Amino acid sequence: MGRAAGDPVFDRYREVFLSGGPISYPRIAVYTGSGASHSWIWFADLFERLGLFDVRFIEESSVRHPGLSGFDALVIGGGDTYEIASSLGEEGARAIEGFVRDGGFYFGSCAGAYLVLSGVDLEPFTPFDLIDGGMLNTMAAPPEPRCLEHKYRSSYGDGWVFHPVYGEVTLAPQYRKARQGVNVPLFGGPVIGEALPDEVLAVYSGLTDRAAYLWPRREAERFLVGRAAVLRSGLDEGTAVVSGPHLEHPLYPAANALAAEILAEHCAGRPGRVIEPSRSSMSNGETAPLLQEIKRQVSNGRIVGFGLEKMPVAWQMGRKVWEPEKIRMFLECAWGRLPFLWERAELIDPSGELEPLASGYANVTRISKSLKMRIESGQDSQAEASELLLSLKELTARFLSLYFRLRLETRFDDD
Amino acid sequence: MDAIYCGDTLIVDLPSGKTEEVGFGQEMLEENGPGLAAGLALYREHEDDDPLVIGSGLLTGTTAPSSSLGFVLGKSPLTGEPAVSPLSLFSGAEMKLSGFSMMVIKGDSPGPVYLWLHDGVADVLDAAGLWGRDTWVTTDAVRAEMGEHLVQVVSIGPAGESASKLASYSINYWGSGDTAALGARMGEKKLKAIALRGLGMLDAEEPPGFYDKGKELLAKAPAWNGLNKVGNGLGAGDIDAWLKPIVHRYRSCFACPAACNTFVKYNESPSVMESTGVEEPGMLVTGAASAAWLLSGGWKAEQACRAMEAMARAGIDLIRGARELAGSPLDDSGGIDNAVGGLSGEEEAGWPGVERFSEGLFGPWVPPLVAEDEWLLANQIGYVLGICPIYLLASGIETGGLFGLCSTAAGIELDSSTVAGMFS
Repeated sequence: MGRAAGDPVFDRYREVFLSGGPISYPRIAVYTGSGASHSWIWFADLFERLGLFDVRFIEESSVRHPGLSGFDALVIGGGDTYEIASSLGEEGARAIEGFVRDGGFYFGSCAGAYLVLSGVDLEPFTPFDLIDGGMLNTMAAPPEPRCLEHKYRSSYGDGWVFHPVYGEVTLAPQYRKARQGVNVPLFGGPVIGEALPDEVLAVYSGLTDRAAYLWPRREAERFLVGRAAVLRSGLDEGTAVVSGPHLEHPLYPAANALAAEILAEHCAGRPGRVIEPSRSSMSNGETAPLLQEIKRQVSNGRIVGFGLEKMPVAWQMGRKVWEPEKIRMFLECAWGRLPFLWERAELIDPSGELEPLASGYANVTRISKSLKMRIESGQDSQAEASELLLSLKELTARFLSLYFRLRLETRFDDD
Repeated sequence: MDAIYCGDTLIVDLPSGKTEEVGFGQEMLEENGPGLAAGLALYREHEDDDPLVIGSGLLTGTTAPSSSLGFVLGKSPLTGEPAVSPLSLFSGAEMKLSGFSMMVIKGDSPGPVYLWLHDGVADVLDAAGLWGRDTWVTTDAVRAEMGEHLVQVVSIGPAGESASKLASYSINYWGSGDTAALGARMGEKKLKAIALRGLGMLDAEEPPGFYDKGKELLAKAPAWNGLNKVGNGLGAGDIDAWLKPIVHRYRSCFACPAACNTFVKYNESPSVMESTGVEEPGMLVTGAASAAWLLSGGWKAEQACRAMEAMARAGIDLIRGARELAGSPLDDSGGIDNAVGGLSGEEEAGWPGVERFSEGLFGPWVPPLVAEDEWLLANQIGYVLGICPIYLLASGIETGGLFGLCSTAAGIELDSSTVAGMFS
């Protein structure tokens, strides 16, 4: 869950969501489909820290059909916006809009923010239009970057979307009580313009030393500071929120609290979803060997993944550049949660839930080793990397689905 | 307390190929002491199964200076008594991080196997395809299988497989300092190798205090390059000057301020810095005693290092092998394989010009210029704490600071007499 897990800032929100009071306990959909990068796992971390366990991990096909009517919130994180928009298509766009207008909560971070800004208006983005706002970080011919060229720009129509800063920035929240600045990472998200003033929840207010400056720092500061970073808009019964930076990042508890507060405000006063404590005892005693096999293969994969991180290689998938570090981020997400699965083994279906994970992680280990051998021998590794990252994304979503089901069923056990 | 060791004790039953985990905690440490003291208790508990016990010291794998040391404990074929050999370089630290605090390997396997310890998972794997291979081939094969070259491979070569009294396990490609022939015990057990890798983390009982004290100790800890501080300082010749024409770089073991280990190149120019040249450019000289024997025997450095490479590949104890070779130096490299292949194993370990041998737990030799009781205490402290005893002796570092670290690491109060008492 990240180093922020024990931060007392989360106590208030855990209490709010779990109290069963006037705030509903939301059922949340996390988008993990085509175009999503690894950053959706940060949402899983965040919701776990908030005590929100009714979380499902969905792909574009689920958004289109059966749709989002069974959910209270949808979050879309970072990734390849073009790929996300293309995969969801017109049907997905209408499903998201209908979901929000019917009272749903949309939170888009980074790519998920670009996706629904009205000012991002080329194909395939045209049908996605939830929030009035444009992006200011576009230019026909942006100046050459000082570093991180692969993170700097991507094509947009006749010009480019560009990112003068990559890393930590400071936000100034603009609503309710005055707050101190909040540090948060900006990894290619939008700098927002043309927004209605009362919809701006936070503006970029400063830079820090924990960032790479692709422009000279002073110019980057001039470009960024004072401009909108987080917007919220009401649509009929629902709420849509977009954030350029990753408020959900696990190392930024103050930013996490800001996201939690926005969600809590949406949930306040809405009819609560009744979730009865329930147990699905289904183990027939065969879980231990399968859990051990999952542990074995996740460990093997982590070890190879660690070795891959030392290699000077990256892979382009669509418009997104993936570095080897992402491999272990997926695996660590499962590794840290495995002990909980052991504790609740009697609630797990061995053949339906564990066997696919065991064989999937064994396959991940196999592909990781093959990938490393190809890199070491100077061969092209794009195909193996694509297969590996896609497998990891699907497996991690499957793993977290099981994990959150167990957390939901046992969430009152510690009371 | 538990955090400075991570995980249970692993029991490996080689006859059945099964593993079991049993608790390792406060009680174990309080009753017996950490490191080798705990290992000895486990050895006695399982003595009927002729075990090899593998473990690490209290501070192994931490930021304490020279905290590289783990151990292999078993019945030495040379004496018939329990003896300990070091896990140095990075193997001790990987053992600490493997997810198991200690490992007891019982009985003999019906066929060749190797163990893969990673993140609290223990796999007993078939080694039929590795049997008969030298330690270099074995290390490469195991690392390729695991997909990571940072995996530490403790393996035996043909000498261990035939249970030769000259046998020694190697650590990756290099000599280990196993002067007790525990490599031969591995061979009798059909245990070809132990592969170690863990991405675990250690914690201290008082993290800030531990960090500050460790940093303070490290800042004061003597540092040096090369083998002279150990070799020449303890009575051998000028090993560093002898090796100088072929030296490529110096390397330390885990967390050690002293880079004793000396990498020499003789298959390409030592001035070549790129690693894109020949595949096997040379050898890491890890011990002063073997070098000292060959130097005193009139060997040229290049031929001596080639002979040490041949012994490391075959899984032969470099010290006893070098002692036997010392009397008949070779002028060229042609006959080295024959000379190494013809070693009889009749020579005892020891140090050139010294005939003080010990039959005790810590092996069959005592270096010159060190009193035997001083040597004994350095080993006891080193193997309990996980600090290289050679570094303790050669650096003169105050042990009081290290004992203080044990308190902040695990709340254990130790001093020299407490440690000595663990072996009485």
